[in-house]
Amino acid sequence: TMKKVGEVLPLLLLLAFVPHTDGTRHSLPGKPTQIRCRSPEKETFTCRWEPGSDGGLPTTYALYYRKEGSDVVHECPDYHTAGQNSCFFNKNNTVIWVNYNITVVATNALGRTFSDPVDIDVVYIVMPHPPEKLEVTVMKDQGWPFLRVSWDPPPKADTRSGWITLIYELRVKLEGESKWEHHLAGQQKMFNIFSLRSGGTYLIQVRCKPDHGFWSEWSSTSYIKVPEYLHREKSVWILISVFSAFILLILTCLIHMNSRSLKHCMLPPVPGPKIKGFDKQLLKSGFSALVVSDFPPTTSNYEDLLVAYLEVYIPEQQEPMVDKSTDLHDGCLKSTGHTSDSDSGRGSCDSDTLLMDKCEAAKEEEQQLDQEGSQTGTEAQGHQEPWEKEAMTCARKDIVSPDASSGKAETWPSVFSPVLPYSPGPRGPQSSLEMAKQHCLSDKQFPPGPLCMGQSTKEALQSNYWEVCFNNEQPHAQTEAQQQLQAHRDLNVSVNDKKTPAGLLLPTRSTDYVEVQRVNKENLVLLHPIPSDHGHESSCPPTGQGTDYSKVKRVDNGNVLLLQRDVVEEESTETNAATESCYTSYITTATQKPTTCSQAALPVQDERVLTVSGYVDTATMFSLHTC
Amino acid sequence: MRDFPLWSLPASVVLVALLCLVFCSGLTRVTAAPLCTNAEAGCHVLSLANLFDRVIQHSARMHGISNDLHSEFELYFLPSKNQIGRVSRNCHTSTILTPNGKENAQRMAREELTEVILKLLVAWRDPLWHFHQSMAHYHDFNDFSSNKSLKMSDMVHELRNGVQRVVEKMQTLGILSNSVSSLSSPEAFLTSDSAEWRLMKDYELLYCFRRDSNKVQNYLKILKCRIVPEDGC
Repeated sequence: TMKKVGEVLPLLLLLAFVPHTDGTRHSLPGKPTQIRCRSPEKETFTCRWEPGSDGGLPTTYALYYRKEGSDVVHECPDYHTAGQNSCFFNKNNTVIWVNYNITVVATNALGRTFSDPVDIDVVYIVMPHPPEKLEVTVMKDQGWPFLRVSWDPPPKADTRSGWITLIYELRVKLEGESKWEHHLAGQQKMFNIFSLRSGGTYLIQVRCKPDHGFWSEWSSTSYIKVPEYLHREKSVWILISVFSAFILLILTCLIHMNSRSLKHCMLPPVPGPKIKGFDKQLLKSGFSALVVSDFPPTTSNYEDLLVAYLEVYIPEQQEPMVDKSTDLHDGCLKSTGHTSDSDSGRGSCDSDTLLMDKCEAAKEEEQQLDQEGSQTGTEAQGHQEPWEKEAMTCARKDIVSPDASSGKAETWPSVFSPVLPYSPGPRGPQSSLEMAKQHCLSDKQFPPGPLCMGQSTKEALQSNYWEVCFNNEQPHAQTEAQQQLQAHRDLNVSVNDKKTPAGLLLPTRSTDYVEVQRVNKENLVLLHPIPSDHGHESSCPPTGQGTDYSKVKRVDNGNVLLLQRDVVEEESTETNAATESCYTSYITTATQKPTTCSQAALPVQDERVLTVSGYVDTATMFSLHTC
Repeated sequence: MRDFPLWSLPASVVLVALLCLVFCSGLTRVTAAPLCTNAEAGCHVLSLANLFDRVIQHSARMHGISNDLHSEFELYFLPSKNQIGRVSRNCHTSTILTPNGKENAQRMAREELTEVILKLLVAWRDPLWHFHQSMAHYHDFNDFSSNKSLKMSDMVHELRNGVQRVVEKMQTLGILSNSVSSLSSPEAFLTSDSAEWRLMKDYELLYCFRRDSNKVQNYLKILKCRIVPEDGC
């Protein structure tokens, strides 16, 4: 232990002495650190290092390098150009694409300290100088200003020969702001900056970098002031106006597209007509639709509205009819509503007392008279001799009974009523009519014009249509009704003349009753024979064929013109009975049928007429019924 | 009939406006012209400057990939820095005399420079292919690096073809003399040490190729700025 203390003591003394003598400790130099080599243009490079502590002694630093593939150690050729603690390698000493192994050695009196070796390749340590000659100018692009920045590459970097390729970057900021705006410019040496603030001052810097290397330092700042170019408010107003115009356009389109639904919502449509059977669409097309279409009803519907049948009486005299024709206008010309059933008008002939044929004939006559319409109580004259007589006979019979029942002669409706100019006849399907018979009568004695009664010869018997066409050129005819009446009159007159017009094609024995089916436009009275029941025998005695007219006994409320067969006035008593009975049933049947028109009785006149001669002035009768 | 919603109209208007914009912008686009080598009718003849630019871009891309691969390799297998001194042997292309400085490169004739470029490119075709093959064995390496190695080897081949095309063009233009004999037989470039690369490790290979691709790119630039000094120089 004493020995150890003896060894340690001088050491301690030595240690104590050293500080006193030097004041500082001496040591080896510290290791140089942070060796950094940079080349500005890939032709030269400079290495710098951080010296460590010097150890209290003057320390020198030396840089040694070794090139790749060679073991020769070289020392730094230039310690001064680059400044302190640096080593500058000039062009002769610089080799590209060659590995340098560099070591810095610090040396002082005590020793040397080696730094850690560093391997460098000049290609990857290039850090150019910043660009130079930075220029900024304000330029105008259609009224909007922008900055044009241009610069030059660092002078030492040889970009012209392609030895080094530089890419540039610039940064911009407004005066007073803290954040820079970076822009990469690539290899170009010019750049434009847009969207400037009016009246602002900008700071611009630029730097560069080789394709494999380090960024240079930022260049010196360039200041530029942008002139005032547009008021901010104006631009805002422009924006607002454009935007609102756009919205307005969209709204307009929307409204236009939905105009219909809007209209429907705000202005509800007027409810349309709700008439049964009315076709609204047809109505829209115009009122002509009303006329053209089912109204007036077509042939099939006529029967619904018109009298089922009309008994035609052929007047005896023209003049009285003419005189009284005027009265007829006051009356109601109407047509009885006729539900055309099979026994319309036939019923009267169904009685035992009636001869069917005769009844049919009489019916025909009656219907003819009815068609004329304006004449009431006139005696219809058989158009054709063969059936005339029988009709008259029947008529007479019929007339007789009504006389007994009621002495009132009533007007019977006419086919042609002014209200229903196209009153339909009996229903088509129900009637057994098949064909229309046309029988045209042309008589010169009829000033007004010819009256036609058409009859086709195809079917002589049942289901014959009779068309009565009337000429409207009546001097007396003023109204439609009058015309019709006139026509009736004419017909009656013509018939009364007992002149069978040429062209009569009435069948010999066609004694069917004719029903007026309808009156068509041309004032044609379409008759249809009532299907006769051949089973019935008329008990009416056949009267002589000479008479071509029949007297109208009366017209009852059934709109039936009661014909009175009156061949000879003297024979009236005898034959009347038969005929009257014949007509009785007819009358009764007729009364059952509803009438569309009210009947005006012709009491006075009728009676007068009847009593006087037993003839009914058809003109008188017809005038009473106007519908 | 009109049962589409109200909002569909402005939406359709906006859509139509967008479509118009797209089409209008498309109309102004310039269509690319087809390439042709013999100035056939109807096709655009590329200028030499254009050819150079394409080749230089290609080499730049190649160098970028090699740089990335080298860095990844360093990160994976050699964590400590400054390991480039560990290259035990020289690159197999060190026998090819390449200018190591700007003056040297500028002093070199065009033909020489062109030959150097072609030599380098030819020398690296096989080693890179084998490098790619060996990359597949590395489980630690990700697929991205593997794809890069493949791409790298392809690019070397393409770049070599491109440079040959440029040389042909220069020769037809009379810029380059026909003394560049190495075009027809690239195998003449291969020296006796061509098998040396097989002894190199993968890392060394990457290191060497990174450098050589940079050389190629630089030489091409020098050539371009010397022959067709248009924009970019």
